[in-house]
Amino acid sequence: MKRKGLSFYVRIYLKILAQDIKSKMSYRTDFIISTIGMIFTNISGFVSFWILFRNFPSINGWNYDEMLFLYGFSLVSLTPVQCFFDNNWSLRMYVYSGDFIKYCFRPINLFFYYQSEVFDIKGLGQFAFGIGTLVYAWGKIGLAVTPFMLLKMVVFLLTASFIMIALQNAAAATCFWIQNSFYLLDLTFRFKDYAKYPITIFSPVFRFIFTFVIPIAFIAYYPSLVVLRPDAVPILSWISPIIGIIFLWFSYKIWMLGAMKYSGTGS
Amino acid sequence: MSLKKYLTLTRAGIMESLQFRLATAVMVIGNLLYLIIVYYLWKAIYASAGTDVVNGMTFTDTLIYLVLATALFNFMEMYTVWEMGRNIQTGKIVLDLLKPMEYQRYLFWSFSGTFITQFFFTFLPTFLVVAFVTQGTIPLGLNLLYFMISVVMAIVINYSMDFLVGTICLYTESIWGINIMKQVVVLLLSGATIPIAFFPEPLKTVMFYLPFQSIYHAPLTILLSRASDSQQLLTTLGTQLFWCVVMMLLSKLFWKLSLRQITVNGG
Repeated sequence: MKRKGLSFYVRIYLKILAQDIKSKMSYRTDFIISTIGMIFTNISGFVSFWILFRNFPSINGWNYDEMLFLYGFSLVSLTPVQCFFDNNWSLRMYVYSGDFIKYCFRPINLFFYYQSEVFDIKGLGQFAFGIGTLVYAWGKIGLAVTPFMLLKMVVFLLTASFIMIALQNAAAATCFWIQNSFYLLDLTFRFKDYAKYPITIFSPVFRFIFTFVIPIAFIAYYPSLVVLRPDAVPILSWISPIIGIIFLWFSYKIWMLGAMKYSGTGS
Repeated sequence: MSLKKYLTLTRAGIMESLQFRLATAVMVIGNLLYLIIVYYLWKAIYASAGTDVVNGMTFTDTLIYLVLATALFNFMEMYTVWEMGRNIQTGKIVLDLLKPMEYQRYLFWSFSGTFITQFFFTFLPTFLVVAFVTQGTIPLGLNLLYFMISVVMAIVINYSMDFLVGTICLYTESIWGINIMKQVVVLLLSGATIPIAFFPEPLKTVMFYLPFQSIYHAPLTILLSRASDSQQLLTTLGTQLFWCVVMMLLSKLFWKLSLRQITVNGG
């Protein structure tokens, strides 16, 4: 099979996207309610944050605005996984029922085709929330607005989102082996709530665990340091883009390995 | 009326929930992670507050409160909205409606088995560990009895509320959005994520007029209060009883009215 170029995949993606949005629009109430639900989640997250930190001038050397920055950072970096990889949640159902086989017969990349089928518009609300928080915190802290800073910001936001995508891909792919992957997926989904705190609050043992074993510190903390504390950036922050790419590649391989092993249900 | 038919449902529920051991293991890991994060987060908060007592609660108080709130959540959350919504979408609800038992009652009793297993496998161990580790911070006496009464009422309020929200699915056929909205509101306004003592004054007043605080805040305060203030105890239990009756009546009425509306897809 001839390898298809990037432009081909972009064109296909846009076509599938248009179909997906059309089909979502036919369930309008569901769409509106889900969007409101998403806004609720963001508001409540924000309110909890505000209640928790309004009484305290600083926590562990992090002041309110810096915490806010971290919070916004985690929201934005979680948007890609929400928008583009939401179909991972249905994977176990497709595998269980046998419908997954339909994806195996298309002459395009299996992983790409599967993920492209759903685009979750709800994620855009979160994106707006996150950007708003970031811009506000950026101004409050008084960070410089230079092209270099913005470039760093984009690169490290991408890094952070790679890690989350990788975690979720891997968690979803476990269903090829253990059938019900919902609980693992739900667990990785909950990581996003834990990612928004500075890792320095933990004891050394857990700092190690959250960096190397369950890498939630890479979802917001390490990447954001590059922008937030440019004078003292730990080495882990600088290499986090590489870690992100490696993780993403690994999760893709695991996913594909599972899919290749898949033998259908015979129906 | 014989109790036997209900107990049969309970037994089936116990057997069903014992089937999913892997799910339980993942859930335990997830909760442990959550508790570790809660522990270090609040430790950092108390360390930076400079005083031992914040809003009338010590670090140990807050921790016990939050740990037990999580345990209570795991024990009470039955994903009723989810279950009802799915049954409505697939049409399975028709079969349940034909059963010689009221649907609301049927659903409750089929969950009761899970209540029992969850109580023994999550709540009780957590409680014992907390009581043992904190040595005497939880008073062990008559308050345990009042706590049990309070928890039973909390279960009923929580279930009725879920049932009420689940009934909305008959109209909207949207599950995810409705469920997430309910969960977010309940967890925040019941004091399950942040103890109510930390909320700003005006918000606190509002919350005491809402039914949500009867679900988590009420049983936990009863359990943790050292002074046996019978006036306060009666007010708390009385408020719970009030909401119990109101929510039960409301959910029943709304269900009766909605049943006329029902349209089911196939079956």
